[in-house]
Amino acid sequence: MRKALAAVALLAVSLATACGTKIGPGHDDKEVHLGLFVSTSGEIATFGEDTKKGVELAVEEINAAGGIKGKKIKLTHYDTASKPEEGKAAATKLATQDNVFVAMGAVASGISLAAAPEFQKYGIPMVSPSSTNPTVTQQGNYIFRVCYLDDFQGAACAAFAQNDLKAKKAAILQNQDDAYSTGLSDFFEARFKKAGGEIVAKESYKKGTSDFNTQVTNIKAKSPDVVFLPCYYNDAALIAQQCRAQGLNVPLLGGDGWESDKLVPNAKGALEGCYFGNHYAEADANPKVVAFVEAYRKKYGNAPSSLAALGYDVVYVVKKAIEDAGEFDRAKVRDALAKLKGYEGVTGKFDIDENRDARKSISMLKIEGEKFRFVRQINPSEVE
Amino acid sequence: MLPLLETSDLATRLLQQCANGVAKGSVYALVAVGYTRVYGVLQLINFAHSDVYMLGAYFSYYPAKWLGYMPEGAEKPKVPFYVLGLAFLFAVSACAATGMLIERLAYRPLRNASRLSALITAIGVSILLQNVGQMVFGADPKSFPRYMDQESVALGPIAVADTSLVIIVVAAAMVGALHLFVQRTRTGAAMRACSHDMRTAGLMGVNVNATVSLTFALGSAMAAVGGMLIAMDQPRLTPTMGLLAGLKAFVAAVLGGIGSIPGAALGGLLLGVAESMVGAWNTTYADAVAFVVLVVVLLVKPSGILGKSGREKV
Repeated sequence: MRKALAAVALLAVSLATACGTKIGPGHDDKEVHLGLFVSTSGEIATFGEDTKKGVELAVEEINAAGGIKGKKIKLTHYDTASKPEEGKAAATKLATQDNVFVAMGAVASGISLAAAPEFQKYGIPMVSPSSTNPTVTQQGNYIFRVCYLDDFQGAACAAFAQNDLKAKKAAILQNQDDAYSTGLSDFFEARFKKAGGEIVAKESYKKGTSDFNTQVTNIKAKSPDVVFLPCYYNDAALIAQQCRAQGLNVPLLGGDGWESDKLVPNAKGALEGCYFGNHYAEADANPKVVAFVEAYRKKYGNAPSSLAALGYDVVYVVKKAIEDAGEFDRAKVRDALAKLKGYEGVTGKFDIDENRDARKSISMLKIEGEKFRFVRQINPSEVE
Repeated sequence: MLPLLETSDLATRLLQQCANGVAKGSVYALVAVGYTRVYGVLQLINFAHSDVYMLGAYFSYYPAKWLGYMPEGAEKPKVPFYVLGLAFLFAVSACAATGMLIERLAYRPLRNASRLSALITAIGVSILLQNVGQMVFGADPKSFPRYMDQESVALGPIAVADTSLVIIVVAAAMVGALHLFVQRTRTGAAMRACSHDMRTAGLMGVNVNATVSLTFALGSAMAAVGGMLIAMDQPRLTPTMGLLAGLKAFVAAVLGGIGSIPGAALGGLLLGVAESMVGAWNTTYADAVAFVVLVVVLLVKPSGILGKSGREKV
């Protein structure tokens, strides 16, 4: 009993000291220390790799141009290995060991959710490049993001189907085991119905399914004008082939999960002329985008994905916030982030809203051969 | 007029689901014969069989890759027909060899041990193959070479992929050939003798070890063909792709009566069609059907549809 008491007391003391730990300022005369935590190993490693490349390109450009308010950026990255618990560990290290000034990450919403409370606890602003789940920024007033949310993405796809594809009847085929898929599907359905459309079929499949013929037959029987596929590129490629084999030749529509250089080869032509929404368009004529694509190609030898573009934007957003704050003070930088309006990045123009989320447009792309052709942007005001 | 139109629409839809189910069931049948033959001879549920099916898909992928036809691109030429033949031969022979090797290394040393030990070993081999698969092939899904152009074929009011037709025809031919082989040839007679009573068959001059090896080789070759066919129809390879397909095929084998080749074929087709028909009503429950069917059959007729009920063989 006495031992237990002693242990509890010890625990209490160590907790008290931990909470009371003042962390370092995260900058000195010459440098400002930024932290990055994305998954460069594990199942979503390609997403993390691309984000990291975008971030490193931006850091290199900023440092070459003299840094932020005269201080060079020092970047520390920890791999979160596609696991939420690794995300939490990385956050603790970045906060207490490296004392970073601002943290950037993660890609997957699950990892951002695990890391956010750590940064909130120490009052370090955290900006996620690409976590789209609405709950991420609800973790505290120091948590921000620069990408759009799934509710907007689903609604924008519905608006595109109705306004551009003139669809009156839509079908949905969703992965019932994936929150990303069912979330998008619900937001699409709500908006499509609200604007007077009809959802004629809503079919589901289990994770890992490769045979979608049963679902395709059910959808074809309802003769929809468009089929919404809220899934990742692997599933989209297989579903498209099976739709075409059964003679279902209507346009297919998807979200940012479709973006991959494997989408077109895997679909073997079945996705020709289909559409998906994405964070940015490589073919955008905006000079800022053109310059970014050129610099990225020069450094890495391939075209940037939207994850790379979001990683690039997140660093510049942090720079802008520090400049707006006027001094290297975390609370003031937080306030500046919360007040950011009309920021123009390579992934479009956006405001940070009262929920610390980015209010921005989505780029609709059309699949033509091996290329994704930019069709148009949909703004948040269009679906509200 | 309208009700009539609706009825014919419904008929078309059910006919299409039936075709989907037959294609799905044909692959189950191909894999199920492997389970059933091994069980017939050794009374062993060879859980590693589903992973041999996975290997079959990968082994038929690599010849096209080695010859430079993967990854695919717009400027790459179409995969010529002889590569398909090479891939088929390579997958079938490599899988047959793998099946024999598994038997030799993992099961033969345990032939006189308790059946539980053999069963647990089978699960171990299955996990081993999946993990080696992840190390060698990588965990991210691979696409499959376009050995055939996947095109829509109209059959009256319904449409199916030409690859699905190939699945149905090849599976029927392979299962039929295996059945004839087991029933009509001397080697087949040796197999049947071993499954009846292995020790007596040995005393009568049947080479038991060779016969068991051959059983594994044939079953694995069938699984390889199944893996290759499914990859042509649904081009996505993963090291765990055998898991669900193997489970379904096992259900099919039990459903039809484990030990019986026609039973495995019938069980596979029934299961495939049942899944598609339930899917026509609600796709969420389609997969659950396989396992409900298994429970019901085991309750009503434990020996399966074509299985011989009788004394447990010793």
